[in-house]
Amino acid sequence: MDECVLLIEDDTRLAGMVSEYLGKAGYRVLHADNGARGLALHEREPVDVVILDLMLPDSDGLDICRRIRAQSDRPILMLTARGDPMDRVVGLEMGADDYLPKPFEPRELLARLRAILRRSRGAAKAQDDKGASDVLRFGRLEIDLGARDVKLDGTPCPLTGYQFALLLALAQHAGRVMSRDALMDAVKGEQFEAFDRSIDVHVSRIRALIEDDPRKPKRILTVRGIGYVFAKAQD
Amino acid sequence: MRRLYLQVYLTIVASLLLVVLTGGFVWHLVAGMPPFNQPFVVAGEVIGELVPPVSASVQEQQHVIDRLAARLEADLALFGANGEPIAAAGRPLPAPKRNAKSGGWLRTSAGPAVLIALPDGRWLTARLPLRQRPSPLMLIAVLGAVALAVAVAARPVARRLTRRLERLQHGVESLGAGDLAARVKVEGRDEVAQLAQSFNQAAARIESLVDTHKMLLANASHELRTPLTRIRLGLELVDAQAERKAELARDIAELDQLVDEILLTSRLDAATSLDVREEVDLAALAAEESARCEDCTVSGQPVTLRGDPTLLRRMLRNLIANASLHGRPPIEVTIEQQAGQAVLRVRDNGPVIAAEARERLFSPFYRVPGRAGTQGAGLGLALVKQIARRHGGDAVYEPERGSCFKVSLPLR
Repeated sequence: MDECVLLIEDDTRLAGMVSEYLGKAGYRVLHADNGARGLALHEREPVDVVILDLMLPDSDGLDICRRIRAQSDRPILMLTARGDPMDRVVGLEMGADDYLPKPFEPRELLARLRAILRRSRGAAKAQDDKGASDVLRFGRLEIDLGARDVKLDGTPCPLTGYQFALLLALAQHAGRVMSRDALMDAVKGEQFEAFDRSIDVHVSRIRALIEDDPRKPKRILTVRGIGYVFAKAQD
Repeated sequence: MRRLYLQVYLTIVASLLLVVLTGGFVWHLVAGMPPFNQPFVVAGEVIGELVPPVSASVQEQQHVIDRLAARLEADLALFGANGEPIAAAGRPLPAPKRNAKSGGWLRTSAGPAVLIALPDGRWLTARLPLRQRPSPLMLIAVLGAVALAVAVAARPVARRLTRRLERLQHGVESLGAGDLAARVKVEGRDEVAQLAQSFNQAAARIESLVDTHKMLLANASHELRTPLTRIRLGLELVDAQAERKAELARDIAELDQLVDEILLTSRLDAATSLDVREEVDLAALAAEESARCEDCTVSGQPVTLRGDPTLLRRMLRNLIANASLHGRPPIEVTIEQQAGQAVLRVRDNGPVIAAEARERLFSPFYRVPGRAGTQGAGLGLALVKQIARRHGGDAVYEPERGSCFKVSLPLR
């Protein structure tokens, strides 16, 4: 393994702890306690991923993020304090790949780091293969529009074509309640499966495949009297 | 220092002065006043030539006085140097006083008369018929002109005084409306100018305080959470029982939650308007938030409104968390559209809150007395109300079978 993480964080004690924790997990950690040193290290060392604190003594984390992005497309994980005026949206617009609010669960840091690295390797491979860039990502769920498949934690979920179209219609309108009629319209072009007619039946089948607990759905939610909604914010 | 009362006083004095000057000027134009005593002396000299000398007989003197009186249509009386009557015509006239030295006006019961000293020491008293009084129209015109002049001259002065006060009032009003950069121009050196200066100082102080507060808020989150993150990481790195660790992790999460709520409350207090306004599907938000909780259903009509999605999500989360923490399941969330408003209700089947506690339900750090649950710092519902108000709506408690919290938000 031995992947290299560049940690740009002004709090040295926290940086030491993160280094120790990630070191135990098998990562090599380089630490810079300000933005300038971080940028210098980033140019010199072959790092695989950057963990960047939003608040740095010498410069704005967002600025560092933009400058790193201008140099390379190494993945960036942004550390923010929850409720910061600099919200996640801004960070992601500046080119960060993910963000994690302080105080974070150490295990979550590890999980996100792994996910980013996996994605960046996948992206690199995909770029070699060309195309296949249209992937919708919702937390642990990935919907690949090109390949028309769905993965949960990297494991494929065997959806039928009709179910995929239904899930896609929901996911493309994440955060909006979709009525059954609107869903029917969205999947009109798909080939009908003769034995199931009702949207509800299909939704429960999709849930069985993509939900951790289909009885307590967290991704496709029911709103009685209106329809279904695909959750915008997932773990 | 020029004082306001002095200004008012000087204004009045100046007005009076103006009245006098204007009056005098007009009088001068109309009447052209000669020196006071002159006419009497002149009259004396002329009459002295007309009447016979002292040595003439009384009949002769009487004859001349009669002729003069007839011609002038006046009452006349001629007196000797010691005031003894010599001749008279018409109604009787009083004799000159013993100590009289020169001629002048006399007041008699039949109207004003003139006493004229003759060069040889005799006195002539004459009462002319009152035909040529100054016309009242002329008087009115003169006074009118004076009043007009005073009014015209006093207006800019009074206007200057009040206009500065008006400007000051505008300044105070815009500061009150939230424009912390509002300042007023300091003119003059009187109380109004001092007040303007004091206002500017107060406004500057308020602005700097609010700026400090904002700076503090901007950094507090980061400064408080970095050590929390250290503690959380440290916990992961030490050897301890898994149970203990989980407990400590929960405590850290609780502290984090508290920091979050306090900071959000202060931030909402400091802000005057919403930073973000986008289309939000309220039912979708409610569905996402209720999915975090056991036994919570969402129903209603599709409603979209313009608002801050993060804050609205927070509001829903707090309402649902409040219901599951202090109420009893099942929790029902309903969303309706009524008269241009989105109406959100979160119902639970817990006990109804006592009437006296309802009023304080939404105040920060308030907990309903006698409730067993000690979770939460009592900021959740305060935030709900703040967020609703920020969106131009409100949050109220409605006792039903159980508790029901109703939030109404304007759609536009």
